[in-house]
Amino acid sequence: MSSPYLEHANTDKAAHIWRYTPWKRAHPTGTINEVPQSESPEISISLVDGTSVPDGITIEPATESDIERLGHELDFDHGTAAPKFIAAVAKKTMILKIENKIKVETPLIVTITTSGDICASRLLIDIGSQVEAEIITLIEGNANWTGILREGQYGSNSIINDVVTQITGNRLVRCDALSLCRDAQVKAGTVNASSSQAKIDIRHWLNEPGSSLKVNGSILSSNENHLDSHIEITHSGRQTHSRLEWHSACGGKSNTTGTGMLRIDAGAKGADAGQLFHNLLLSEKAKANSIPELEVLESEVVGCGHGTANGPIDEQQLFYLSTRGLDEEQARAALIAAFLNTPLSDMGSNLLHGWLVERIEKHLNLI
Amino acid sequence: MSVTPLLKIEGLKASIDETEILKGIDLEILPGEVHAVMGRNGSGKSTTAHVLMGHPDYEVTNGNVKLDGEDLLEMESYERARAGVFLSFQYPHSVPGLQVGNFLRRSVSAINGEEAAKGPEFRNLLKEGMEQLGLDRSFLARYVNDGFSGGEKKRFEILQMMLIKPKLAILDETDSGLDIDGIRTVAQGVDAAIRGSNSGALIITHYNRILEHVKPDKIHVLIDGKIVKSGGPELANKLEERGYDWIEKEVMANE
Repeated sequence: MSSPYLEHANTDKAAHIWRYTPWKRAHPTGTINEVPQSESPEISISLVDGTSVPDGITIEPATESDIERLGHELDFDHGTAAPKFIAAVAKKTMILKIENKIKVETPLIVTITTSGDICASRLLIDIGSQVEAEIITLIEGNANWTGILREGQYGSNSIINDVVTQITGNRLVRCDALSLCRDAQVKAGTVNASSSQAKIDIRHWLNEPGSSLKVNGSILSSNENHLDSHIEITHSGRQTHSRLEWHSACGGKSNTTGTGMLRIDAGAKGADAGQLFHNLLLSEKAKANSIPELEVLESEVVGCGHGTANGPIDEQQLFYLSTRGLDEEQARAALIAAFLNTPLSDMGSNLLHGWLVERIEKHLNLI
Repeated sequence: MSVTPLLKIEGLKASIDETEILKGIDLEILPGEVHAVMGRNGSGKSTTAHVLMGHPDYEVTNGNVKLDGEDLLEMESYERARAGVFLSFQYPHSVPGLQVGNFLRRSVSAINGEEAAKGPEFRNLLKEGMEQLGLDRSFLARYVNDGFSGGEKKRFEILQMMLIKPKLAILDETDSGLDIDGIRTVAQGVDAAIRGSNSGALIITHYNRILEHVKPDKIHVLIDGKIVKSGGPELANKLEERGYDWIEKEVMANE
């Protein structure tokens, strides 16, 4: 099969993006020049409270003009192989569309149910201007390998909480390429618990003035999980704001990586950006890497900072909880949940938070 | 008929990093009694509190401690809490991400059983306690001690004590950092939890201000890891007026 992907299949192993999870490992068959057959997942939308999805919110097959309008070039620098591959193997492209000025009080769930050996989907996100909504994309099902490519834009002056969760599953490669229009306020959350292997590459572009982005990650790795997340935020517009807070609780013999790139382009005057990776090490055999990077090409910025913190459970916190009657297991579980809850509680409304907590809590006993 | 002491400490010695801090403490609290331990900085007051609660940094090298006749030193910290010991920390630890309401339910459930942490009775107790301590309902959604003012931390410790209703409350400098109203509120909380019950309290403090509101039955003076003098409430006033020098001189003379 001839594919634009094949031009990018041979990746630079020394590049930052592939250092911890080479593309050969993330690729479903390990033969990187292969573009295998794949299944398409079932994709449906519903509201958390079970009521009908309001008019103006649809999910349907995308047209060529949708792809042209919302599809990014999929130029992920050294990381281009993954999104190009998903675009190549996905049999169909769907579009989630929320029309201008729609306000949804209840979180919207986009359920992606995977099946088969290899399952891939390309999903366009088209959020109109002045939309107010919370979107939970729930990746579930039993495919051995899942590829999800999300591309699109958040409309001008929209207020969006957009959370992607994979709480059960096997191998995952997920790529996001999303841009924020003028004055859009977006909270982009990622919740991952118990994927056996995940390679996540999330990229946001703040191209227009006044846009604001908060990226939150709540990652629970256990057993021999291998979770590698790269988060890239590019400020091109003036007076743009972004924050990244990525918490990973690492247990068992898991290997967890978080790499970040904050890029402030020339001309992005007044940009204000910061990123923090925090790893909680729960076992001696768990490994965690965090590498935040900055690339600042504009001198007139409000701020641009990064940081990383790694450590085991705080003994003093453990003692405090034990003096309140919690045995060691209960106290550890409470502290891990609290650690993961800090970014989780910032992903959206109380309703959305409650929904997420309910689903992640049962996984705490895995570590 | 003799009454079993609520707390009986005999010859307690404890070290941290091989440095002996407690050098032989003897103390007995009967049910319904409030005792106070006073002393200068570094005399071993907070160490006493932490050792009684089973802090892993401290090693007990000698002595025994009984709560209601049960060997406290054999128990893990959580078992001591479940047996009825409560420590109000001088510097309570923050737990970002753990909401106060959730924490209170877990804690009360772990110590007093699941039933005690749900239903209208618990909710009423919580509501009354918060009102008494001047804590707003929104407090329940905040994270444990995260961003709390000094006064909020102390009030939160007392709220926990009021909900848990321990047999023995150890208050480690709960009054320090509080204003007069705060001290009065905390004192009311102690009275509500201890007085008229078979519980007891050990109040560790630098000052006698809190003791003006919570009338202790006995005062103990701790110097260099030992209780060197015990007496009634008048001892606190004497310490306030004359400091600790006279007691130190008295001890040296006796030695």
